[in-house]
Amino acid sequence: MAVNEENETFVHPLYEALERFPGADVGLTTADRVLTWGLTNALWVFPMATSCCGIEFMAAACSRFDLDRIGTIARGTPRQCDVMVIAGTITVKMAPRVKKLWDQMPEPKWAIAMGSCAISGDFYRDIYSVVPGVDTFMPVDVYVPGCPPNPDALFMGIRRLQEKIRLKREGKWTEPELRPDTPGLRSPAIGRLGDPGRDACTSQAQLDAVLGLDPGGGLRRPDQKS
Amino acid sequence: MSIDLSHFDLVAENDIVVVPVDKLVDVATYLRGQGFEYFVYCCAAHYPASESEPDRALVEYRLRRLPAEDVALRLWIPSSDACPSLAGLWQAADWQEREQFDLVGVRFAGHPDLRRIMLPEDWPGHPLRRDYAIDTRHFPWR
Amino acid sequence: MAVGHGHLPEPVAALIRARAAVPNPHLDVESYDPEGDLLVLNLGPQHPSTHGVLRVKLYLDGEVCIKAVPYLGYLHRGVEKLCEKLTYVQITPIVDKNDYVAAFSNELAINMGFETLLGVEPPPRAQHIRALGAEMQRVASHLLWIGTFGLDMGGALGGGATLFMHTFRERESILDCFEVLTGSRFHYNTLQVGGCRHDIPAGWETLVRQTFATISARIEEYESFVRTNAIFLARTRGVGVVDAELALSLGVSGPVLRASGVDYDLRRDRPYGLYRELKVNVATASAGDCQARFEVRLAEMRESIRLVNLLLDGVPEGPINVLKAVKLPGTVKPKPGIGYAAIESPRGELGTWVVADGSDKPYRCKIRGPSLHALSLLPYLAPGQNLSDIIVTLGSLDPIMGEVDR
Repeated sequence: MAVNEENETFVHPLYEALERFPGADVGLTTADRVLTWGLTNALWVFPMATSCCGIEFMAAACSRFDLDRIGTIARGTPRQCDVMVIAGTITVKMAPRVKKLWDQMPEPKWAIAMGSCAISGDFYRDIYSVVPGVDTFMPVDVYVPGCPPNPDALFMGIRRLQEKIRLKREGKWTEPELRPDTPGLRSPAIGRLGDPGRDACTSQAQLDAVLGLDPGGGLRRPDQKS
Repeated sequence: MSIDLSHFDLVAENDIVVVPVDKLVDVATYLRGQGFEYFVYCCAAHYPASESEPDRALVEYRLRRLPAEDVALRLWIPSSDACPSLAGLWQAADWQEREQFDLVGVRFAGHPDLRRIMLPEDWPGHPLRRDYAIDTRHFPWR
Repeated sequence: MAVGHGHLPEPVAALIRARAAVPNPHLDVESYDPEGDLLVLNLGPQHPSTHGVLRVKLYLDGEVCIKAVPYLGYLHRGVEKLCEKLTYVQITPIVDKNDYVAAFSNELAINMGFETLLGVEPPPRAQHIRALGAEMQRVASHLLWIGTFGLDMGGALGGGATLFMHTFRERESILDCFEVLTGSRFHYNTLQVGGCRHDIPAGWETLVRQTFATISARIEEYESFVRTNAIFLARTRGVGVVDAELALSLGVSGPVLRASGVDYDLRRDRPYGLYRELKVNVATASAGDCQARFEVRLAEMRESIRLVNLLLDGVPEGPINVLKAVKLPGTVKPKPGIGYAAIESPRGELGTWVVADGSDKPYRCKIRGPSLHALSLLPYLAPGQNLSDIIVTLGSLDPIMGEVDR
């Protein structure tokens, strides 16, 4: 019996053949363990470095922290890589390119969202041009919080990814609590301009003060006589 | 240390000159000839319509004669009007004016290449206008 | 411009010559390439050598570039709109992320803009901390630039990553100094309107002195890497020559302008803060090529190290903020007015243009970033160059896309 991704069991002809040879499955699990060991310890990283977190990624790859010692090498092309590290803010203009690069990576592949901008948009969350978290358009395996995360935190994230891969291969991975289903964009925290209940875009006092500006160049408050 | 612009009927006060729209190019050409060859910035701020004033924008150019002599040309542009472009005099005005057009929505007459520079070409509206809510997105990434 | 155009069709070669005489980035490619023979190559927005998310559309004839069109905005985060929504006190951590290689300079520029409107001046001790931080940040930023420039040069420096590894080692030690001072490696949030937030801890001066003594020795090492390296010299000497007049007209400042022979530094010519009393030696070079920019940055690092040691000698005692410690974000309210303040960041003139309306939030806040102006040189420099030289030229301009797009 084999198990597919939806946790449904089905009869695979290979497994039927295996059952006739006692001891063969022991050899196969050993081979599988070797493959898993290789998979987890040679994660080549594609740095999708857009902003500040990209600099911290460079610091992590450099001599002091040295990503290479856990078998993680940064490559410049998506076609050679297993893991995409999204390091930095993803804007509306950039997001289709990120998606395209993600689609160019060969399976099996994983994604790490590094930094609060990639996770949720951080304080740019409500800005018109920023995507509120990369998980709105692509799957993410590990979230590394911080602004930017220290290189140590990135190491922790990669270790967690290795653990996740290992557990998945061993069939011991249980999905943590599923995130709520979000078919579209979650409603923004700041209400829209037309909503009566919104936190005003420009408060009335501020508007009044501004409208009292003198077109001659000098500035005066509306309550002042010119 | 303010520059003498009396033959344009303009007074520089603390390096700031309020210029009428129709005199901008003349004043800028004169300043370029006077050695103001360093272009510092071009900024715009949007002011929504009020009872006394129409919808308008404040545009400020800052020019510098090295080492440290500044002049800021400040002018008010109604939204129905276009600001004369200085891209022919200082090359820096090219991208700076494109940015202000993109974000604030000030049009620059005579600009060689007035396209959006920061936002995608099909973006609706100008985000730094005061009537533009901060969270107005559109969704090309889906 | 001495570029061999023997293999180019004559009209194209003539156009390159004409362009070299009158630089014009709005050249219409279609008018002299009706058959569409040119190769259109998109460099970026994801490219290891574009220092972020810059896209440059290159029209190539063989290996020679005919026209380069930069497309910006892949990191446009709407910082200026966000500044209108936040109070003066809350803005400081936001602008850290603009020029993410030199966060301290960003904080300094924006807070100086606000202080111009408020009419306050930080106390001497705060001025010292600010100047110290700015100079340390300059060294850290230039170290990162030298490393990434080595990467851009590819194999010229023994596998490319050698210089990168060396400079990041030193940069980490500077970040450690900042971590001791502010509690953060990268985005400090340490300045505020009217002064500083964190005072110098005990023993910090010794740490900084030791760090910079080491770096001072290591700079000699970098210089020896490249002084004798024939490949490095061949790839930088005479490549990407910036004309001083064009640079001024484009508003270029900082090391790029100084490498073109213009002796101009805001720290000396429009002094602010502590620089009114401090004598700064400005490094210049006349060649205007990539090697001159390298030399200028090396000299600036030496000068900054000298200034750091000088400043550490005379830190006065006293308060670090003229205003009361800011507990509530709405307590800073400048009078209505428009102000501009500029500092010399590692990349050039970093200014803040603020319109205040009397409330606790700016009405409009524009950040004048030097990277945008430096990057606008690219359409003028790229035509006539080989593709590999364009990468070197782009790297030597040191654009930080967070500051270009904001």
